[in-house]
Amino acid sequence: MAPKDQFKDKVSFYLNSLDELGEVLINQEGSSGLTKGVLRIILGTMMASKGSVLGVKRTRCKILSSHGVSLSPSTLRVNAEQKKALADFKNSNLNQSQIKKIFDPKSSDSVAVHFSDLSASILVPLFHKDNLLGIVALGKKFDGSSYRSLDKKILEIICNHLTDSLYNQELIENIKDKRMELRLKVLELQTLFDISLSLNSVLDIEELSSEVLIRSVSTLNASSGFILKTQKNSPILSVLSSFNVDEDQLKSAIFSKSSLPFKSVWKDKKSIIVSGDKSRSFLNKTNYKECIISPIVGNRNISGCIVLGDKESREGVVPFENNDINILEALSSQAGIAMDNAQLFEDINAAKRFNESIMGSIATSVITMNLLGEIDSVNKAGVELLGKKPNEIIGEHYSYLFSKDKGLCAAIESAELELESFSELGVPLLSKSRNTIVNFSVAPLTDQKGDHLGAVVAIEDITEQSKIKNTFKRYVSKSVVDQLLDDDQKLNLGGEERDVTVLFSDIRGFTAMSEKMTPKEVVRTLNSYFSEMIDIIFKYDGTLDKIVGDELMVVFGAPISRDDDAERAVKTAVGMVEALRKFNEKREKQNKVPINAGIGINKGKVISGNIGSKDQMDYTVIGDTVNLGARLCSFAGPLKIIISQSVKDEIGDLYKTRKLDAIKVKGKRKPVEIFKVLT
Amino acid sequence: MSDFQVTVKEAGDVVVLTTDGYLNNIGGEKISEVCDSHMESGKNTFLINLEKTSVVNSIGVSILIEIIEKLQESNGKLAYCNLAPIVEKTFNIMGLTKYSTIYSTEEEGLSDLSS
Repeated sequence: MAPKDQFKDKVSFYLNSLDELGEVLINQEGSSGLTKGVLRIILGTMMASKGSVLGVKRTRCKILSSHGVSLSPSTLRVNAEQKKALADFKNSNLNQSQIKKIFDPKSSDSVAVHFSDLSASILVPLFHKDNLLGIVALGKKFDGSSYRSLDKKILEIICNHLTDSLYNQELIENIKDKRMELRLKVLELQTLFDISLSLNSVLDIEELSSEVLIRSVSTLNASSGFILKTQKNSPILSVLSSFNVDEDQLKSAIFSKSSLPFKSVWKDKKSIIVSGDKSRSFLNKTNYKECIISPIVGNRNISGCIVLGDKESREGVVPFENNDINILEALSSQAGIAMDNAQLFEDINAAKRFNESIMGSIATSVITMNLLGEIDSVNKAGVELLGKKPNEIIGEHYSYLFSKDKGLCAAIESAELELESFSELGVPLLSKSRNTIVNFSVAPLTDQKGDHLGAVVAIEDITEQSKIKNTFKRYVSKSVVDQLLDDDQKLNLGGEERDVTVLFSDIRGFTAMSEKMTPKEVVRTLNSYFSEMIDIIFKYDGTLDKIVGDELMVVFGAPISRDDDAERAVKTAVGMVEALRKFNEKREKQNKVPINAGIGINKGKVISGNIGSKDQMDYTVIGDTVNLGARLCSFAGPLKIIISQSVKDEIGDLYKTRKLDAIKVKGKRKPVEIFKVLT
Repeated sequence: MSDFQVTVKEAGDVVVLTTDGYLNNIGGEKISEVCDSHMESGKNTFLINLEKTSVVNSIGVSILIEIIEKLQESNGKLAYCNLAPIVEKTFNIMGLTKYSTIYSTEEEGLSDLSS
């Protein structure tokens, strides 16, 4: 072939190659497809059997495409010195000896080894301005000939196009990376937003912590994590929730806020990254290479912490960054507030349950109502008293609920209007039944600021107490009844032996006196006499055991024992004598005969209880002590008080006494010592 | 650490992967391995049932993107079903749903992908 034709063919061949190159550059997406196509064209155009295109990023060098050479290792390194040397060949090429000078084939340098594998004969550094984007390296030509200047020129042209494309690819990759970064930021923001929403709606601490933990782990690309919380009276932190960790390992590990790394977190209230040998013992507990700990700070106090371990990347575990701390702190500070709220909610619930259990256990009915007069709450006693189901009470208006109790309704109305408390004692609760006797009090309900909220009604069912009072009030003073009702342990009405003081009094010569009076006069006289005497007996809390004819029997120490039983008995007797003197003064003015009663008092053991038949039972005392008391009374002259030795021993020097002659008593071998109280 | 589990079944031309656990780097790699081996044998339609995967991280997502890129070269498809709301939201934000389909159930996914 003529040289002219040869040249023509050559030019046509090169033009075809460039045409093909244009198609590859336009159609190929991604650096891998691009370099593959371009390398194919280069090898074909240069008639070379081996070649590769390397991509360079900083010092990392990746084989983007290769032919006729082993691919491993796919990631190579090109050092700064080599890059600098290559810069001298910008827009040019290196021959075999120049290549060997920079990439010494005898060294273990990874790129040099690769070029040696290629038997690299020509090399084009792909510079975009001062930035080395890649390297094209070719082995020998098929025919063993050397690269001519035209080959080199065409190679440079192709490589210039490749450089532009690689630069564009890099720009696209950068945009993709930026877009990914942007998406990750959006994800972080979305996570923060989601967390704040769920934190506001979730009030269960465990559920809340689990949510926070999972979102933190996934947002920070941690491989796992757990939340620890503080415990009262202990430095040991307990595991509140965990994600993707070995539960058994976590359970067996002890984490203390007074030891590192938690100590510094608690001290500074700041997040820390834990890594390195100093924290080896802690990291061993968790199997983490590195972890991040962020305190959960609520209302000034640290309620716990989030621990996230081992940040993941496509290349394995990488260190946590400052941005991770920022995100985790944002998450944990929200968690702190929410967990405070949840704790508060739990405390309120506990207080409510506590309140309810108190309300439920008290015997008084407590009913609260709102400003409209509708019942808001009623305790167990209230439900029982009203005999209705709670849902029949709650929401009802008080005037409907207590429609028959005008007094109660009026009290509620007054309490609401005047914002004052009202109460009534011993009234029937007609809305329940005529026989239900209650004490009630109504108070206005106000909040801490004093704003009116409604009213609270406390109703005490005293039906039972009323019965007891009615039973006893004939025998004992009100204070004794009240004591009995206050403590029913004191009320032992069954038979029992006890120490009491008995007082007997009877009217001297009453039979003879009554014979001179009309029956009506007798009754009137006795009633007015007894009325005076019983006032004094009740004043000293004596129990009026019985009245037989003109005789009174009073017991001190039954049904309730007191230390001063004997003392009160003697005071009663003295009081009776004094009252009788005044009583007689009046009678004398009315020209009536005086009533002269004598009193005997004894102290000792008696049998007490409800004694009688099943139709007629009376609470009384029986025994020798009682009999001797009656005998002492019979020895007492008008307006005189005789007491036994046992009474004398008890009262000491309270009153002056005079010893009288001992008396013989039936059933007792020794005469009984007796004393007269000097009034 | 809890293990990420993948079980695989073939329903006609569709390869169904059922996962269990945290879809992170480890989970993503496991899915990628399964997809790679099936792609080598000519399969290119994959449905991942994520019912038991309630948490994903961005590394897991980026591996899924790599799988999608590989599948695009062979006109293949990647789809998911039974996504937890939080996972679906993450997929949306990370731009995954532009290149892959989400089905509410496995049956729905299978009938659509098989047609």
